Amino acid sequence: MNLKVIVAGIIIVGALVFGATTFMESNIEYMDFEAAQNVNKKVQVKGKWVKEKESAFDASKSQFTFYMVDDNAVEMKVVLDGAKPNNFDIATEVVAKGRYKEGYFHANELLTKCPSKYEGDGEAVKKTL
Amino acid sequence: MFGAALIKIAFAASIISTFLYFVVHRNPSDTVRKFARWFYEIAVAGIVIASAMLLYFILTHQFQYYYVWNYSSTDLPLSLLISTFYAGQEGSFMLWALYTGIIGLILLRYTSKRGYEAEFMAVFSAIFSFLILMLVVKNPFKPIWEQFSTELLHVGAMPAGTTNYIWVDQARGLWAQIPAEGKGLNALLQNYWMVIHPQILFIGFTSMSIPFAYAVAGMLKRDYVSWIRVATPWTAFGSLMLGTGIILGGYWAYETLGWGGYWGWDPVENSSLVPWLVCVASIHTMLAQRKNGTYIKTNLVLSMFCFLLVLYSTFLTRSGVLGETSVHSFVDPGMWVYWLLLMVIGLFSALGFGLLFRRWKEMPIVPVQHSLVSREFALFLGASALVFASIFILIGTSSPIITNIMKGKISAVDPSFYVTTTLPLGIAIALLAGFGQLLWWQNSSTSDLLKQLRIPAALAALFTVMTFLMGATHIAMIIFIYASAFALFTNLIVGWRIVQGNPKMAGGALAHVGIAMMFLGFVASAKYDDVKTLNLEQGKEVQALGYTMKYVGYQPLERGRFGFNVEVTKDGQKFVVTPVMFKESEEGSLIRNPDIVNMITKDFYVSPLSLEVPEEGGHEHEVTLFKGKKEQYEGMELTYLDYTFSQTKEQGNFLVMQIEVNINGKKEIVRPTMSNKGGQPTFTEAAVPNSPISLLIKGMNPSQDDGEAKVTLEVKGITHGEGTIAPKAETLVVEASVKPYINLVWIGTVLLIGGFFITIVRRIKEVSKE
Repeated sequence: MNLKVIVAGIIIVGALVFGATTFMESNIEYMDFEAAQNVNKKVQVKGKWVKEKESAFDASKSQFTFYMVDDNAVEMKVVLDGAKPNNFDIATEVVAKGRYKEGYFHANELLTKCPSKYEGDGEAVKKTL
Repeated sequence: MFGAALIKIAFAASIISTFLYFVVHRNPSDTVRKFARWFYEIAVAGIVIASAMLLYFILTHQFQYYYVWNYSSTDLPLSLLISTFYAGQEGSFMLWALYTGIIGLILLRYTSKRGYEAEFMAVFSAIFSFLILMLVVKNPFKPIWEQFSTELLHVGAMPAGTTNYIWVDQARGLWAQIPAEGKGLNALLQNYWMVIHPQILFIGFTSMSIPFAYAVAGMLKRDYVSWIRVATPWTAFGSLMLGTGIILGGYWAYETLGWGGYWGWDPVENSSLVPWLVCVASIHTMLAQRKNGTYIKTNLVLSMFCFLLVLYSTFLTRSGVLGETSVHSFVDPGMWVYWLLLMVIGLFSALGFGLLFRRWKEMPIVPVQHSLVSREFALFLGASALVFASIFILIGTSSPIITNIMKGKISAVDPSFYVTTTLPLGIAIALLAGFGQLLWWQNSSTSDLLKQLRIPAALAALFTVMTFLMGATHIAMIIFIYASAFALFTNLIVGWRIVQGNPKMAGGALAHVGIAMMFLGFVASAKYDDVKTLNLEQGKEVQALGYTMKYVGYQPLERGRFGFNVEVTKDGQKFVVTPVMFKESEEGSLIRNPDIVNMITKDFYVSPLSLEVPEEGGHEHEVTLFKGKKEQYEGMELTYLDYTFSQTKEQGNFLVMQIEVNINGKKEIVRPTMSNKGGQPTFTEAAVPNSPISLLIKGMNPSQDDGEAKVTLEVKGITHGEGTIAPKAETLVVEASVKPYINLVWIGTVLLIGGFFITIVRRIKEVSKE
């Protein structure tokens, strides 16, 4: 009986330690561009797309390049692996996940936050009158 | 308004029903029971009528209701129009409440025959009340002028010719404009899966509350044993529905979203997977308790968690707490929903666990009698592995909350977290799914087990060697493949024997065959897929991944969509795939839908990325140069050095730019000019020596006096060789991928669902006989 409890205890503790370390390792921290330049790991940066600056999809490399400004108004060129995300044009905020490379932020993933799905705005209702 | 009033009446009726059922539990009385039933039926009737009204308003485009305006429009086909019913927060709670109410009517009869009505319905009706309460807070019948009072509400005289209006208060001269068109359904949801997937998922959510209600009812009745028999068919039903809902969502994503997978470890996906895993775990421990009475408390706890985790997942995905870490995350729906959901989680947890601790000591303690080599122990270990998997996924999904508390900063885990943590558990689950079927209840002899192991273990080894030769060479994958193949062969052999005896008992074996096939399908299609981005110039054949592809052109489809036809040839066989791209609205986003060639052993998946069209009259090449700063452009290095300015009578204002061009290793100074006489500027291009290129001024700000000195030039004469961006002909950019053996995932799913179905039939018959 005691042996069973010990074995079960070891398994549970082992699983928890394993889960906790994996959790810490794979947690992608939020940073601004300035901080992202000083760490060599995958991070995520929240900000806005600078629509005035050029953005282009390079078909030969399958990369989408655009400029993004973070919450501290630091601007950075972002190169995303893949095409322009679906909701990119209407996104109010974007989150780029990736790491800083020489002179630009290399994103593997881009999340877009869209204008509310639930709370319509006054401008929208005027259009449908 | 009538709809909102109906919801409030339904809420009151369900609360009264809960209370009366609780009274019946304390003092059994047929009269009170009758009233309790009536009130429950009134509540259901209220929700049914309210739902019918909402559907009617949607079908007749009554945009004076904010919800109808916000999610539907007149141009939707009927099936999608119906599905706008549950496209938003309010309507999806309505659908959930509707299914809960109706399934409750079935459960009312089912439980009353088995002496469980008062206790079960007291809890179930309380759950129903909570769902209706969400509708009281988030009213689907909210008039649109309450949302947009400044835009729509007017006092006094109505301008002549106003057609779409409604009197809000005629005595005070208050009237409101009504939109003629709705905002419409999100283009990503405009898909036939939208018709079926949410329906099944919400039936699944509803059925997760059934094990909870049974567990609490069992404790109220001080019945810790026989509730399991009554509850088992419903627990299996819940696993069936929720599992089907989850996998349909995966298939939807795979088939229409175009990122190439069926599972993205997104919080919304995870949060339905977690209760499903716990529910499946409880099926296993319930089976053990039925056989020899152990795991009483485990079963109560797991059954309660089925529902509590559904509540928690609702909280995660609906309260805005995930912030921007999820693709699906909804914008903050308001503090009401946040606190209400938290309160309800607290309330139901307190009810369930409070009762558990009160009854803890009086519960019979059945010592674990089985040996380590027994089916019970395998069931227990299997359930533990499922629970561990659900805990890991839950922790990962809750990461935004955990990191917020720990560090004050919200962050999500990388999807690799889920793969790393669940892979070892998947291996354990696969091995146990095999071993468990070979073991006997109570005690198995080791020699007997070893004898039975031989054939499936050998077949699995053979299978693994074959997959190794086909390219599955990662060590973790080899182990996972071996474990899954072992589960597959064991369950095929055991299942075959069961079918020859009594096919009605083959549910377990069939479900495990399904799981094993799904595991193998996961490995093949997700780990060993082959992806490539390709530029398909119109009319030109491109070879990749063993296929020949040719983009032949596009044609318009219905509702403003465009289909891009690609001919795919492989071994003399020709297919045409038509991935779709379209603009959601004029300023809206680009929506892309992939197309798939389904073959027996693989899928060839073509996802469109963009269409590159050469601009008319040759591509415009423009470059902006800042003074003194070198700029790389199309293999040249350009620098804006300076300018000279002169005024003459003949030419008017005359400006000469000095641009240094470094081309093919040679530096040249090129001087494009601008002259301005009588307000009309004339630009003259200048050729770059020894090249076909010339430069023309397009715009400038030559001196530093007003801002940064810069000039914009058109670069003419660029001919396109390799490595340049602009295409000569229309080019479709696609991401093509080969997904080997993805059919195993779908076949496995069907078998798993079939297994659940057979189990439900068997358990219902069994409980009906008693």
